[in-house]
Amino acid sequence: MDDYDQLYGSDRGPQITIKEADNKHAQIVLSNCDLAFANSLRRIMLAEVPTVAIDTVEIEANTSVIPDEFLCHRLGMIPLDSTNIDDKLIYSRDCMCEMYCEKCSVILTLHARCTGESNVTVYARDLVVAEGAQLGSPVITDKEGQGAIICKLRKGQELKMKCIAKKGIAKEHAKWSPVSAMGFEYDPWNKLRHIDYWYEESAEAEWPKSKYADWEEPPVEGEPFNYDALPSRFYLDVESVGSLPPDEIMQQGIKYLQEKLASVIDTLGNKNEGGDGFGDGMRSPGQDYSMGGMGGGGGYETPYGAGGGQDARTPYAGGFGGTTPYGANGRW
Amino acid sequence: MNAPDRFELFLLADGEAKVTMEPDTRQPNAAIFTFNKEDHTLGNLLRATLLQNEHVIFSAYKTPHPLFPKFELRIQTDGETSPKEALLSACQGLIGDLQMLSQKLTREWELNKIARDTS
Ligand SMILES: [Zn+2]
Repeated sequence: MDDYDQLYGSDRGPQITIKEADNKHAQIVLSNCDLAFANSLRRIMLAEVPTVAIDTVEIEANTSVIPDEFLCHRLGMIPLDSTNIDDKLIYSRDCMCEMYCEKCSVILTLHARCTGESNVTVYARDLVVAEGAQLGSPVITDKEGQGAIICKLRKGQELKMKCIAKKGIAKEHAKWSPVSAMGFEYDPWNKLRHIDYWYEESAEAEWPKSKYADWEEPPVEGEPFNYDALPSRFYLDVESVGSLPPDEIMQQGIKYLQEKLASVIDTLGNKNEGGDGFGDGMRSPGQDYSMGGMGGGGGYETPYGAGGGQDARTPYAGGFGGTTPYGANGRW
Repeated sequence: MNAPDRFELFLLADGEAKVTMEPDTRQPNAAIFTFNKEDHTLGNLLRATLLQNEHVIFSAYKTPHPLFPKFELRIQTDGETSPKEALLSACQGLIGDLQMLSQKLTREWELNKIARDTS
């Protein structure tokens, strides 16, 4: 890795080409790498890139037709703006606070009531974040500017709740996934014969052509099968849910994959020569500020402390199985 | 409910190490590494990368049980390097590759953005 600077921009290492992109999705081609590498990137973008999502709900009033748990689940699924989350938010389990604080959570309030004769629809835009806050604000992409529907209210029905959004990854719950879909494809002509197409008379005639087929040479008639060939071009389609732009999803995926590898090097006690130049990038972001809490949890009274009695060291202090004073289990 | 907490899939328990090494005494230059709270994302990546090392003569991984978030990676070398050295160099090589990829992505994205803005 000594000649890293000369390699930069060279033909060595994995190559990336952006085929088509906007602020919601990106079609990329990864080449000069193996299947395992491309697949690991896909998996990490899908499941291990952190975002914010509503995780706990304190329900004060819910007289709608939707039960509390149902509503909490719907709230959890709403994409919230998570750009630059690593600089702004720490994991609640790493935080020194007792339940949640501004270092480890974003508070969204929802208050809606139907007073008129016609029904009221409650949208994601009705979730109110602290003024001027960008992190944790609901992602709204439709042209009406409403966002996802949360609930509908009839005359006299009311919703009043405090939603606590926390940082998390999709390995814990899919609501934290930054992507709605991750397209992954290789070998559009099936030259490697990794797929055994089902057919009635002719696989070529009955199966549609891959949309990436024009990017590779079609097979030559009568060409012998190359059983040594390996896939080396991968077509990925990153489709964001809106919480992160696709380039940030990809960059974060790369970062967290590096971090994983760095933690292996760390634990195997490697005192190898420095000069790699990667030292900085691979520190776990959590480690840097996990101690910057509120100076111990003691003497911190919350109205919810009585129920759970969990000590502050458990991950998600006061979280799992705990009920809010209003009887609604707010998780997931 | 006795379902384990989902965060046990990726958070190491108190005192648990990310990786442990156990020499495989049945054959020379072989070791089995156990990775805790990891899955195919890391397992298959390391396996494939190790096989590109000419001194590695065997590299394979398995998840002993699907309910336990760990995998075992067995590495055997030809004696020129140790399994541990091979694993470390695979990790370092990959971190470097990913760094290059990240920089290429930054550049490509900028170029793509300029093209989008002008058209
Ligand atoms: Zn906190």
